[in-house]
Amino acid sequence: MLELKNVKKSFGKNKILKGVDINVNKGDVVVILGPSGSGKTTLLRTINFLERADSGTMIFDGKTYDMKKAGKKDVNFIRKNTAFVFQNYCLFNNKTVLQNVTEGLIVGRKVPKAEAEEKARAALEKVGMLEYADYYPSKLSGGMQQRVGIARAVAVSPDIILFDEPTSALDPELVGDVLKVIKKLAKEDITMIVVTHEMSFAEDVANKVIFMADGVVVEEGTPDEIFYRPKEERTKQFLSRIIPMDNYVI
Amino acid sequence: MRFQIQYLFKYFFKILPYLKVTIEYAGLSLLFGLIFGSILATFKLQKNKVLKYFGVVYTAIFRSVPPVVLLFLVYYGLPQLVLNLFGIDIQNEEKILYVIITISILSMVSLSEVIRSAYISIDKGQYEAAISTGLLPVQAMIRIVIPQMIYVALPSIGNIVIYLIKEGSLGFTIGLVDVFGKANSLNQNSYSNYILEIYVALALIYWFSSIILERALKLIEKRVSFGR
Ligand SMILES: Nc1ncnc2c1ncn2[C@@H]1O[C@H](COP(=O)(O)OP(=O)(O)O)[C@@H](O)[C@H]1O
Ligand SMILES: [Mg+2]
Repeated sequence: MLELKNVKKSFGKNKILKGVDINVNKGDVVVILGPSGSGKTTLLRTINFLERADSGTMIFDGKTYDMKKAGKKDVNFIRKNTAFVFQNYCLFNNKTVLQNVTEGLIVGRKVPKAEAEEKARAALEKVGMLEYADYYPSKLSGGMQQRVGIARAVAVSPDIILFDEPTSALDPELVGDVLKVIKKLAKEDITMIVVTHEMSFAEDVANKVIFMADGVVVEEGTPDEIFYRPKEERTKQFLSRIIPMDNYVI
Repeated sequence: MRFQIQYLFKYFFKILPYLKVTIEYAGLSLLFGLIFGSILATFKLQKNKVLKYFGVVYTAIFRSVPPVVLLFLVYYGLPQLVLNLFGIDIQNEEKILYVIITISILSMVSLSEVIRSAYISIDKGQYEAAISTGLLPVQAMIRIVIPQMIYVALPSIGNIVIYLIKEGSLGFTIGLVDVFGKANSLNQNSYSNYILEIYVALALIYWFSSIILERALKLIEKRVSFGR
């Protein structure tokens, strides 16, 4: 459903993505792991064309795009059918919670207002934020804002949702609620790519784990394969640094 | 001579109608200042070196010229320039035109700075979130970024408007009859017998205007505060 081939991106002289290939099937929950600075955010951003790749091919919904050259129309089409959940939420501060969710429907997709609000309410219900529909973001905690961010992504019924470290800006006690919401979506067969450092979450929901380092995919496989039987030295090193190894004796 | 309060009232109401002129040049200069100030601000925000340099130099030049000098340059210089360039004679245009041009040029500089810093203060993520949810870049600017910029910029814009009104009173030096011009001519006609009454009346008019302006700003601010 989404396939990236040989995606490259540099900022100035820094090569951030050095030829990344990934493949996501419908209903997949793909978790991307990797040390900070390895290019995970940049990769997600090139999928949404928030960053323009220097080269690479994207196959999306059966159509092939040149990621460097894709025109405005194609970019807008891909953006409308993918959704992004940002590390720091990025809610529209001048809109209420409900308006944050309807904006993409009413303005981006010309959905009639009543229908858009109905969809938005359903999405807010799903993330447990319906009772805050009329609040402005400035009145909400980080965890609540992120749940609204997720509702905003879900409401437009995208083919795929891209999560960029959705919980890493949150206070620890708020992380659980947000992860619970994402798990729920995963169970509904919503296709998603999730960049996260939450290992037990990854193990629970992912059907594919990709380990990235230095702008390349080092290793990919099922959670079992990556967490318990990693092949590559770099993967082992990374895992041993973030998980105490004795949790993972076989 | 004793201060005569009934003359204060008399002059107050004689001068008041000319507030229309003051409002006209302040309003139009603000409008042009906002339009061209936004353009200048976009120049300054460019990565393109030439445009950026133009914006910076423009700001530096017009910040250093005293307003009254600029007014004279516009009043005496512009008609000649226009005549030479386009063969159009604007010598007999109304004086308010030159005042509007002068304070537009001046306000454009300060407004461009205000607009630039308001833009920078809005987190770029919201713009990205907007386009990634399917808005076009121009929709993202108009619906998400600019309303928040207005909230940030409003207090400074208010100060600039008050400054515009004060700068505009320099229009009397080229013979514009606004509230200040009218007060001057009333003073001359009465051989300065009521000088205090006249200028106290004028000060009151400026004072009332700024109170009304502040009220208006508060109302707008409420509309764009988004729950803060
Ligand atoms: N817009 C940008 N301009 C310059 N360098 C950038 C930009 N965005 C990211 N980088 C650099 O790219 C590298 C990878 O960043 P990122 O994709 O955010 O990694 P990750 O999400 O894996 O931590 C970092 O070193 C970062 O400094
Ligand atoms: Mg990142």
